[in-house]
Amino acid sequence: MSASPRQQLLRPDVLASLSNLDLVARAVVEGFLTGLHRSPFFGFSQEFAEYRAYNEGDDPRFVDWNVYARTERTYIKRYVGETNTHLVILLDASASMGFGSGAVTKLQYAKFLAATLAYLASRQHDAVGLIVFDEAVREHRPPSTRVGQLQAVLHAIDRAEPGTGTDLKVPFEQFQELRRGRGLVAVISDFYCDPDALLKGVQPLAYQGQDVVLFQLLDPEELEPKMKESALLEDLETGETMEVSPIYMSSRYRERIRGHIDALKKAALRAGADHVLVNIAEPLDDALRSYLLFRQRRGLGA
Amino acid sequence: MTLLAPAFLAGLLAIGLPLWLHRLSSTNPNRRVFSSLMFLEPGEPRRVLAKKLQYLLLLAFRIAVLVLLALVFAQPAWLRSPAAAANEDGRLHVVVMDVSASMSHEDRWARATDAAEDVIDGLSSGDLVQVVAAGRVAELVTQASNDFTAARGAVATIEPTAFRTDYGQLMRALDGVVRAADRPVVLHVVTDGQQTAMPSRFAELAPNLPATISIHDVADDADRNWAIESFTGSPLTGELEAEVRSFSPEPAERTVRLELNGRRVAEARVDLPANGRAVVEFDPLDLVSGANRVTLSLEPGDDLAVDDTRFLSLKRPEPRGVLIVSSGRRANDDLFVRAALETIDTLALEIERIGVSALADRPLPEYDFVILTDAGVVGPQDAELLAEYVAGGGKVFAALGPRASSLGTVPLTGHALDPALGSLGQGTTVSISGVDGSHPALRGLEGLRSGKFLRYVGIVPAPDDDVLLELDTGAPLLVERQIGDGRVLVYTSTLDREWNDLPVQPVFVPLLAGLANHMLGGAGFTSEAALGSTLSVRALGMEGGQIFDPDGNPALGLGGGTRDVVLERVGFYEVVGGGRTEVVAVNPDPRESDLTSVDDGTLQRWQGLGFEADGRVDVATEAGDAVAVPFGTWLLWVLVAALLMESLVGNWHLRVRRGIAT
Repeated sequence: MSASPRQQLLRPDVLASLSNLDLVARAVVEGFLTGLHRSPFFGFSQEFAEYRAYNEGDDPRFVDWNVYARTERTYIKRYVGETNTHLVILLDASASMGFGSGAVTKLQYAKFLAATLAYLASRQHDAVGLIVFDEAVREHRPPSTRVGQLQAVLHAIDRAEPGTGTDLKVPFEQFQELRRGRGLVAVISDFYCDPDALLKGVQPLAYQGQDVVLFQLLDPEELEPKMKESALLEDLETGETMEVSPIYMSSRYRERIRGHIDALKKAALRAGADHVLVNIAEPLDDALRSYLLFRQRRGLGA
Repeated sequence: MTLLAPAFLAGLLAIGLPLWLHRLSSTNPNRRVFSSLMFLEPGEPRRVLAKKLQYLLLLAFRIAVLVLLALVFAQPAWLRSPAAAANEDGRLHVVVMDVSASMSHEDRWARATDAAEDVIDGLSSGDLVQVVAAGRVAELVTQASNDFTAARGAVATIEPTAFRTDYGQLMRALDGVVRAADRPVVLHVVTDGQQTAMPSRFAELAPNLPATISIHDVADDADRNWAIESFTGSPLTGELEAEVRSFSPEPAERTVRLELNGRRVAEARVDLPANGRAVVEFDPLDLVSGANRVTLSLEPGDDLAVDDTRFLSLKRPEPRGVLIVSSGRRANDDLFVRAALETIDTLALEIERIGVSALADRPLPEYDFVILTDAGVVGPQDAELLAEYVAGGGKVFAALGPRASSLGTVPLTGHALDPALGSLGQGTTVSISGVDGSHPALRGLEGLRSGKFLRYVGIVPAPDDDVLLELDTGAPLLVERQIGDGRVLVYTSTLDREWNDLPVQPVFVPLLAGLANHMLGGAGFTSEAALGSTLSVRALGMEGGQIFDPDGNPALGLGGGTRDVVLERVGFYEVVGGGRTEVVAVNPDPRESDLTSVDDGTLQRWQGLGFEADGRVDVATEAGDAVAVPFGTWLLWVLVAALLMESLVGNWHLRVRRGIAT
């Protein structure tokens, strides 16, 4: 199978016109998976893999009743890509996530990404959980595969609005207190924080055996600001103002933001986590592709 | 420093505009939100500081531009003493002393001389000084010189007169002084700023040539005055009427005393309202034959004595015989001329009308003048009688009518008739186009052109004749010829409406009055004249006579070649000549009695009209002793520089805002 041209999903501004987050997630995932059939990610499909004895806690919907009729034993029909793990999405809803120079803000994009991940995980029969936070945990949905969990997660995602500041320590601590099993943790944030603080927050999760992926969402204006004249910039979280010149924003600032991103990458690497930089002007496919690669590398599916 | 046009300082309010705009700009300087200031070092302080400095500098320049603009219009000036100003370049200081009658009120004149001496004392050695007395005319008391002592002496010799000063005429007269000067001129006008002396147009106060004006106001606050404003009387009845004017805020009681030929004849009490008038009437006087000198004086007198007495000359007319000779006993061609003469009661004419056939029976020498309604009816014998009458000093007014037009010459005068000169087309009319306004019979007449002439008789005037009226065609209408001691006036059209409509025009009666007065030898001439006016000997019809001033001294020797005399004093002027004596009453201009002065602002504006050749405008302060030297021109250059700097800084400011490296 030859490599196909890079799949382009619906652009964020088109997604923003869709009112239903469920519809957004479905459109993105279906389009993405359709593309995957002709991609190197051949394992990610609904192809049959094996039968496994039913264990307590498994979703009875996946019991192969035909086998049960013949053998009177309950088996779970497993497909390629099914991992029977859980995914907890940590969604940053701080005030800084409300920034956006284009059609969507970082928070909107984060919602799309979170919904898409939740939907994708649900299709993989993974338990999906959600923590929405800013300086505190504002929404918490423990991972579950129960019927209606996906919708509940999507609704929780939909309710997220830009809040106040960011404190990554809070969601990580909350997560540690509530979850002890191994699973996936997707942190969606702009990570305006100290990389060392991030490292301190992520490392305990890694020690618990969690596979952590950090989606760092940044606006193009944050990555490569194109300021034409001096402006008085106001911090969305603190309200402080600072007058900056375009020269600084086009040179020194870019160096600093790149340095910060690199520092985050290193911190994530040291903590055993993955770091994915997402430009919110781009479609979601890069993020999803990174997620699947991440799963693949962690042996959670192929 | 002072401001010549301080009202323009209101323009300073315009600086509120840049302040407001800059405030708006500073409160909304391209503010926008950003995710986090985490990587935005509060850096670029140098650039931000530079921007703020540029911002403030730009604001300062914009305010400076507006302030300078307002100041340029407000005409700021440095105050300097005249002496200091003159030290740079010697000037001609013209001390103009107002010698009008109002200057004699109370101690105005003393203050005026003090002010003039102060001016002279303040002059530097490089200056010249000239003293001018401004009354009826601007009289050069001294020539321009550096002899300040002589100038002080000249000021001390000047006295206020009874004349009236008109500031507009004064400035025109001073233009001549300025024109003759070889250096910058400072006009020091020492005056009381009398309201009635102001010209009708304020611009007339401006000098036409470069000169600095310095007004030295010597007016006093207590400007109350009482004056006899008018005094009239009838020479026929002797009735007199006077009007007394009060220029006082309080009512007053005065006594008016009437003198006839130096003898007190009546006295009356007058209650004068505040700032009002009162009319005084006297019983008819018993006028003597000839000129009567009537004097009315106000008692007690006030600080302005010149208007407390008023003079009136009344000459009771004696009956004068006038003979009107019509073309026939039953003819009606004398209707208009007779009616007109009968209305002139001041001449006391006794008119007798006859037909030409009765002319030989009349003793012509008993008549003061004869009127012929159509000279063509006069036969040779009658013409001889009339010629004899004229040669003996008689006067004849001869009109030429239909009968005369058929003759070859005018009887009595012998003027040749020219039919071509007198022909007009059918229905064509002509008007009077030429009038000898200097002739005493025609002086002041208006409306002569209203008469339309259908016909007239063309005559050829002799070189010695005086053509008093002329028609559009150039043909003479009224010609005067001196014959012996008498004179003949030839009128080349009819005195009724047959050939023209002049008899029904309003000007007809005044014309006949003037002609009758002239033929009577000026018996009814105006016996009152304003001070400063000119008395014409010719107007009196007394050529060869002599005029005496109120003191009885000869005012004009006719042998000197001068025909007119200026009436420079109030009182009675006497004119003697031709066997008779006339008296002219001369009174001051009643406008001098109103001592109200103009306000200081008006005087300031008058001073502001002065200018110098280099554009400087020097204005004295209220004290009148300092000269303001404007520096608006320099401010203009500063304004231009500020505008350039504002443009540069504005451009720089925008570059900083755009973040362009500088």
